[in-house]
Amino acid sequence: MQLSMLVIALLVIVVGFVWRAAMAYPAGVREALEQPIPFSHKHHVGDDGIDCRYCHSSVEKSAFAGIPPLSTCMTCHSQLYTDQAVLAPLLAAYRSGIAFHWQRLHKLPDFVYFNHSIHISKGVGCVSCHGQIDQMPLTARVAPLTMQWCLDCHRNPEAQLRPADQVFNLDWKPPNSSVSGPQLLRAYHIDKRRLTDCSVCHR
Amino acid sequence: MSSLIPPSPFDVEAARRHLASARGPVFWRSLEELADNDGFLRWLHQEQPQLAQALSVDRRGFLQFMAASLALAGLSACGHPPQDQIVPYVHAPEGQIDGLPRFFATTLLRDEYAQGVLVENRMGRPTKVEGNPQHPASLGATDIFAQAAVLQLWDPERSQTVMNRGVTSSWDAFAAAAAQATERHLRDGGKRMRILTGAMTSPTLSAQLGAMLERFPGATWHVHQTLGNANARAGARLALGVPLATRLRLDRAKTILSLDADFLNDPTAGVRYARDYAATRTPEGNPGTPSRLYVVESTPSVTGGMADHRLALETDRLERFVGLLARGLGIDIEVPDEADAQQVRWLSALLADLKSNRGASLIVVGASQAPWVHGLGHLLNAALGNIGTTIEYTDPVERNVEQAASVADLVAAMRAGQVDTLWILDGNPAYDAPAHLRFADVLTQVPHVIHLGLYRNETGMLAEWHLPTAHQLECWSDARAYDGTASIGQPLIAPLYDGRSPAQVLAMVLGQNLQGRALVRQQWQQQLPDETAFNAALQQGVIPNTALPPRTASVSATFLAQVKLGPTAGTALELLFRADPTIGDGAWSNNGWLQELPKPLTQLTWDNAALVSPALAAQHQLRNGDVIELRLGQQMLAAPVWIMPGQAARSVTLHLGYGRRQAGRVGDGRGVDAYQLRSQSNPWGESGLQIRATGTRYELASTQHHFNLEGRDLLRVGTWAQLRTDPHFATAADPYRGKPPSLYADRPPGEYAWGMSIDLNACIGCKACTIACQSENNIPVVGKEEVQRGREMHWIRVDRYYEGDAANPRAYSQPVPCMMCEHAPCEVVCPVEATVHDDEGLNVQVYNRCVGTRFCSNNCPYKVRRFNFLQYADNSTESLKAQRNPEVTVRRRGVMEKCTYCTQRIQSAHIEADKQDRRIRDGEILTACQAVCPTQAIRFGDIADATSAVAQAKASARNYVMLGELNTRPRTSYLARLRNPNPLLGEDPP
Repeated sequence: MQLSMLVIALLVIVVGFVWRAAMAYPAGVREALEQPIPFSHKHHVGDDGIDCRYCHSSVEKSAFAGIPPLSTCMTCHSQLYTDQAVLAPLLAAYRSGIAFHWQRLHKLPDFVYFNHSIHISKGVGCVSCHGQIDQMPLTARVAPLTMQWCLDCHRNPEAQLRPADQVFNLDWKPPNSSVSGPQLLRAYHIDKRRLTDCSVCHR
Repeated sequence: MSSLIPPSPFDVEAARRHLASARGPVFWRSLEELADNDGFLRWLHQEQPQLAQALSVDRRGFLQFMAASLALAGLSACGHPPQDQIVPYVHAPEGQIDGLPRFFATTLLRDEYAQGVLVENRMGRPTKVEGNPQHPASLGATDIFAQAAVLQLWDPERSQTVMNRGVTSSWDAFAAAAAQATERHLRDGGKRMRILTGAMTSPTLSAQLGAMLERFPGATWHVHQTLGNANARAGARLALGVPLATRLRLDRAKTILSLDADFLNDPTAGVRYARDYAATRTPEGNPGTPSRLYVVESTPSVTGGMADHRLALETDRLERFVGLLARGLGIDIEVPDEADAQQVRWLSALLADLKSNRGASLIVVGASQAPWVHGLGHLLNAALGNIGTTIEYTDPVERNVEQAASVADLVAAMRAGQVDTLWILDGNPAYDAPAHLRFADVLTQVPHVIHLGLYRNETGMLAEWHLPTAHQLECWSDARAYDGTASIGQPLIAPLYDGRSPAQVLAMVLGQNLQGRALVRQQWQQQLPDETAFNAALQQGVIPNTALPPRTASVSATFLAQVKLGPTAGTALELLFRADPTIGDGAWSNNGWLQELPKPLTQLTWDNAALVSPALAAQHQLRNGDVIELRLGQQMLAAPVWIMPGQAARSVTLHLGYGRRQAGRVGDGRGVDAYQLRSQSNPWGESGLQIRATGTRYELASTQHHFNLEGRDLLRVGTWAQLRTDPHFATAADPYRGKPPSLYADRPPGEYAWGMSIDLNACIGCKACTIACQSENNIPVVGKEEVQRGREMHWIRVDRYYEGDAANPRAYSQPVPCMMCEHAPCEVVCPVEATVHDDEGLNVQVYNRCVGTRFCSNNCPYKVRRFNFLQYADNSTESLKAQRNPEVTVRRRGVMEKCTYCTQRIQSAHIEADKQDRRIRDGEILTACQAVCPTQAIRFGDIADATSAVAQAKASARNYVMLGELNTRPRTSYLARLRNPNPLLGEDPP
């Protein structure tokens, strides 16, 4: 009897591990993936100071932040570093009209409907989910993107709120979040009751 | 299923006894239920075992099963989810915001007539059709066919390449062949060239056809319509001298008589007519008297279901009835007086009603009626002073068909070897031409047949060249609506396959510009002189000032001298042909949504059947599903029987469009091919039918028993007179008032309180809501076998109820979505909290939590939950993936689902409003069923806001909730149906 209980317990543990392994991302947290071009957010954002919205142009309007069309890259790179080998795939794709494929880092399950625009307009900064992207030579995911992680903030959004003009500022730190958080919550008219409704994210 | 005992033959006497013994109104859904209540329930539980036959496994077996499943789960899970890739645009499309839908105005065709629509485009993929509020034939709503057009677009079995004698070819090869043919035919002026088309409302195509006939003066244009409006045209010629088109002004009519006219479901203007009609019948905010609808028809129709008084007469008796009516209005016509007592009573009441509403009455003659009946209709309307008020004449909308030769002439010419090249511009005559012409056989004698079509159908298989047409959503086009209003069709996507539009193909022969846009642009050069005007017309979806002006016409009764009506044949049966309510004349056969949509009134899916009257069924001892042999002249056809309450006793109806052989995987081999019985003389039906039971059975899949009402009081009906004396009749019988105390705590109110109101008085039962919901919410098609098991997935079903004698019952429709109960019985039984309430009152289903116990479905008193018993959603066909709404999860096997009030639309509106820091405006959210509804029967919004349309609807005295005594506090409520019977006729017979 005890032996069979042990077998069952072992089975459950094994299944649990297999499950976790199967559900995990191909690339873990803080693990960069090999991309067709080793694009550096550190260089473009940190060094050059390009605004997030220059490339991710639909982030304030749509669920999808937007991946820049190659023509956006070419606004600079038709002139700059055109002879660099690392940019060869960009120029080839632009000339041929057939784009290369980026490896996706942030992916939610199909039954989850995340919307960038509402987070931006309610004062959640980019850095809350994407980390100090201006310091990443190669882009990696910093958040686990699990439901638990989403809910931590949906239950207690105050900690992540910032003034509307600081949303895209990756270096901004709240002077005193225990005071400003609740104030911002009121100012943004955020109805906390709704934030944990299933229908907010699942359809 | 075949081992089950079928229900006993319909017992008329038992049904009468059942009705006579009942107190109060008795609603019934099927004849089995009416005739034998106990036996019916026994049979029902046997036929629809649903959950009764759950797998019976002992404990040990269960554990073994579980262990095996776990082991398998472990094995199959050895791998990560696939690495996703992101493909950037090289140049982003102009004006597109990634992830947001865009709507484009365009034009869809139904029987060649335009219906203006707005098509939702998501990142380049057309996914959903909505009506265009600016378009006169739509006013924001659509019919079922427009909704199903997106599935047709993405149908993987559409014709994809040019075929030459069954071998894949190319447009270049065809162009070379066409050039040769042109040269050949130019020599003799095209004497050996024929062009076969359907009716044509497109000005561009019509002009091109004109140019073709000018270039080849010897060529002949033939027109082939499966049903069409030839009788109406001939009738107008008889009475008016010119084949004018008739336009109904139902908004002005007080007394309406339909003579076998299904105008509420009319293929060309039904959506608009239904709106106009419903507007005259809404008591709230409508102080005038409501209209009254009389319907005389041979086979039940949607319009007949809305009638205040309905008479079921066979075609011959109907004609004599019209004759007597004409005589009553002072028109001299030779007609035998065969009217029975009921008809006499009816006639006198009807005549009184018509005469007291001169100028505001309306007599509509159905397309199936003989030309002289149409002619007589014009005389009657003239005698009642209706012309110019409730009826308007215009020039014909279509290209002048009078110049065209018939398909019979074409067959004669083909037989005589006079045809060298035959152009078939869309259509399928090898399947749907009158059987005795043997079109398919003769077609093989023509050396060069060029078939243009969306599918390589029966005709395409026989043609030398088959050319794939681009779908209406893939090409530039134009068309006219029922009132002549022209609109442009613009492509929503580049052709998925190698298709070209008919205009482009004709342009090849005419040596015109091959660009579709240029062709349409050039056609409208006068009205839309510059790009700005053209783009404005595109954006509006209507070309301004193109509606045809009303014309005056004088009627002449001379043709009546030719009309001699003898006594009726007495016992002869007649066979009627009608277009199938969901797949039309067969053009929509390969569309799973339409095949699975329960047909209005019969609730049949996936099949057609011979509709027989209860009396005829009793006489021949027929049950539903018994196969009978139909014999008409030399032709014979075996078809299953469906007993149709309200069918005229001696009429048998067979719907066209089934029995396809080259439709595709979805449509092939379903139902029986009614065209085999149809002759040239009368496409709508013929007398002299003989039937014989064969003793075999065929399983039909009807949904009328599914989710049975078990005698509960779900439907409330009253009369207008009752509304004045007893406005709260709908809730008078309820055993409770207001909100009874509940064991469950009330939830604190949220920011909004979503609710829905469905006006049964407006609902005509067209089922556009069901299919719009299917399109919006990625609802899968399950197939006939699964429908037979009661597993159809529609989130909003339309229940059909009958009241009264089976020979001519009153019919009612009731759409049933999720009730969104405030105290939802489904929620308390879910062991994993997969169905819970949100703050705004939605009862939400969380697919990722659902483990498929189905407890919720068992505990739902309204039976609105649907379970994915199998993997219904097709995850393997690429093109079908592209059709899906990305805002809604595609459900997997083992998951429960149900109506969400289109939660994705609520969330989108919420996000937009929250971003702008404002409240959601009333009317900003339209659920899919609400948006599509031709009669605006469905209202949705915030019930906490007293000014909202839905709150005002719920404030009506007619408001009631289903099964209110259960204290589930549904957010979906109904407005009781109102009838407006003539006091002279009283309540009985209807």
